[in-house]
Amino acid sequence: MSNFDILELCFRNLLRRRARTVLAVTGVVVGTCAIVVMLSIGFGLAASFQEQIESYGNLHMIEVYSGRMGGPVAVGSDDRGIINDRNLAKIEKIKGVAAVTPVASEYLTIAIGKKVAGTEIMGVKPEVLEKFNYEVQEGRLLKETDKNAILFGNQVPYWFYDPNNYVWSDKPTNVMTDKIILTANWDYGRKKTSGSGSGQDIVYKEYKVKGIGVLAAENDQSAYRVYMKLDELEKIQAQVRKERGERVLPSVTKSYDRALVYVGNINDSSAVSKELRNMEFQTWSPSDWLDAMKQTARMIQGVLGGIGGISLFVAALGITNTMIMSIYERTKEIGVMKVIGANLRDIRKMFLLEAGMIGFIGGALGSMVSCLISLLMNTVLRDVIGMALGFIGGGYGSSISIVPWWVVVAALVFATAIGMAAGFYPARRAMNLSALESLRNE
Amino acid sequence: MEPLINVKNVRKIYRMGEERVVALDDVSLDINKGEIVCFLGRSGSGKSTFLNMVAGLEKPTRGEIYVGGVPVHKLTEEQVTLFRQKNIGFIFQAFHLMPMMTALENVSMPLIFRGVPKKRRKAMAKESLAAVGLSGYDNRKPTQMSGGQQQRVGIARALAGSPKIVFADEPTGNLDTNTARDVMNLIIKQARRHGQTLILVTHDSSVAEYADRIVTIEDGNILNMHMKGQGENDDKEN
Repeated sequence: MSNFDILELCFRNLLRRRARTVLAVTGVVVGTCAIVVMLSIGFGLAASFQEQIESYGNLHMIEVYSGRMGGPVAVGSDDRGIINDRNLAKIEKIKGVAAVTPVASEYLTIAIGKKVAGTEIMGVKPEVLEKFNYEVQEGRLLKETDKNAILFGNQVPYWFYDPNNYVWSDKPTNVMTDKIILTANWDYGRKKTSGSGSGQDIVYKEYKVKGIGVLAAENDQSAYRVYMKLDELEKIQAQVRKERGERVLPSVTKSYDRALVYVGNINDSSAVSKELRNMEFQTWSPSDWLDAMKQTARMIQGVLGGIGGISLFVAALGITNTMIMSIYERTKEIGVMKVIGANLRDIRKMFLLEAGMIGFIGGALGSMVSCLISLLMNTVLRDVIGMALGFIGGGYGSSISIVPWWVVVAALVFATAIGMAAGFYPARRAMNLSALESLRNE
Repeated sequence: MEPLINVKNVRKIYRMGEERVVALDDVSLDINKGEIVCFLGRSGSGKSTFLNMVAGLEKPTRGEIYVGGVPVHKLTEEQVTLFRQKNIGFIFQAFHLMPMMTALENVSMPLIFRGVPKKRRKAMAKESLAAVGLSGYDNRKPTQMSGGQQQRVGIARALAGSPKIVFADEPTGNLDTNTARDVMNLIIKQARRHGQTLILVTHDSSVAEYADRIVTIEDGNILNMHMKGQGENDDKEN
């Protein structure tokens, strides 16, 4: 018996018992909807958590600190937890890492005209900024060939004030200028009041630099920093130390205080963080929170999915019932088919297919209805449901319910499988039915 | 000549709870190719059981059954299904047509199970329907036909695959006398024309008259055998 013939017979049988088929299918539709909609709320919740965390900072970014606290750097091969070129090369090879740069940082005063702002200047390798997916709002990113150039974080231009009257304006200062002074003197620009100094003021060197761009991202760490080429900042740092009279510990290999690691896919972030900690580095990343929140979201999703699962289970019972009834009704028919040459396997296939078809049709309709419900929840019912979800910490996100495409596929496969599973017992029963007995009961 | 059907010392016992019912005691019989044999007996005599075992629908408790040299009693369920598809056509007392299918589709059923492609089986079924005088009834449903017409469809279905053996279990049991005669004539005519072996099972002695040989069964044993135009030639009481 060809599969096409079995399919045709199966459709005829389903159409013959229209009312019962429709009821069984409706059961599956409701079950599928329950699961998909519940899950979609879970996904919406997870997404809203993520949006929340993203507002804390860039999830791709991991800041790495030396795991060794103070003390002279050990000489020899044991350089674990030390950010040096050798370890940076190792970090770059970790799966998921897209770019790494060592970072030097120094708190300096930036002066434009009469206004000043104190902030952390980060020395980075200019070529990685592009790999970090940093975008500029105006100007451009740093280049290898730049000299005395600085790149501003999005929020920094708002910080400039006149140190003599402490008046802030809410308008950003134009930083795209080459009349910028960079200095380690935190009192720069303040008029000296007699007697306030301790008597032995250090004279800091002043560097003339130019602003070449402002970053676009408003709410991650980069917004509050100013970037500069690593080698230039290191020179400034060395100079500042000399001026302050700090002793510089001679070290065998060059090391850095910090590094920035950029992870291409945020799903790898926690794995990369773990790997880095295994290398005895300290790490900090907004994605550290992501795992905990994801876990919460997953738990809520599990509970919601479970509730949906119950209704699909009930639907499966409905299918089994429908199929058993159908076998009782068709006992004689099955007997005749066996006598006139139907294969046992064909008979089983026929019943399995019928049950699977109920599941499949129900799953397909259910997925469609779910998408519709999801759409309604994100538009018309948004405010009502958002309020309800607020209690469990969600509903902030841009959409309440998210139905990923794979959930639709999974729902279809699952509903079909449930249908087949529900049809398994009846199908076996039909197969084992005695042809003679079924013909005898007239 | 080697007989087409060779039944040796077949015994069949049904267990019904504690009780054991002997349906067939000890039956041995040969049936030749092209022969028309009628098993006559009251209900419960064991004649249907005999037929079922030759068709491979039931297994004997003891004994051997060969059909065309094939040991039917030894075949697995799967093999016996294939054997039935190829060799045996069935005509039922209650017609047993599929109610939701048209006459043509009903006749095609055994061909579907055999895996005959759609186009070919449609042609074969049409031919078969024409042979029983029902051309033009292709798209009628069983409910739109008389009893006689339904049984003709049943006959067409049994003949559609040109089986070597046709079993007819009380083929006229649900029909009135006139229709019964027409149907019987049709069955005999078709069997003769195709050289098929026909095995009739009935309690109606008027049906038995169509057969070449009448085998009377009682309480699970062959009581006697009549060849047409001869007297009792073989008492097999034991």
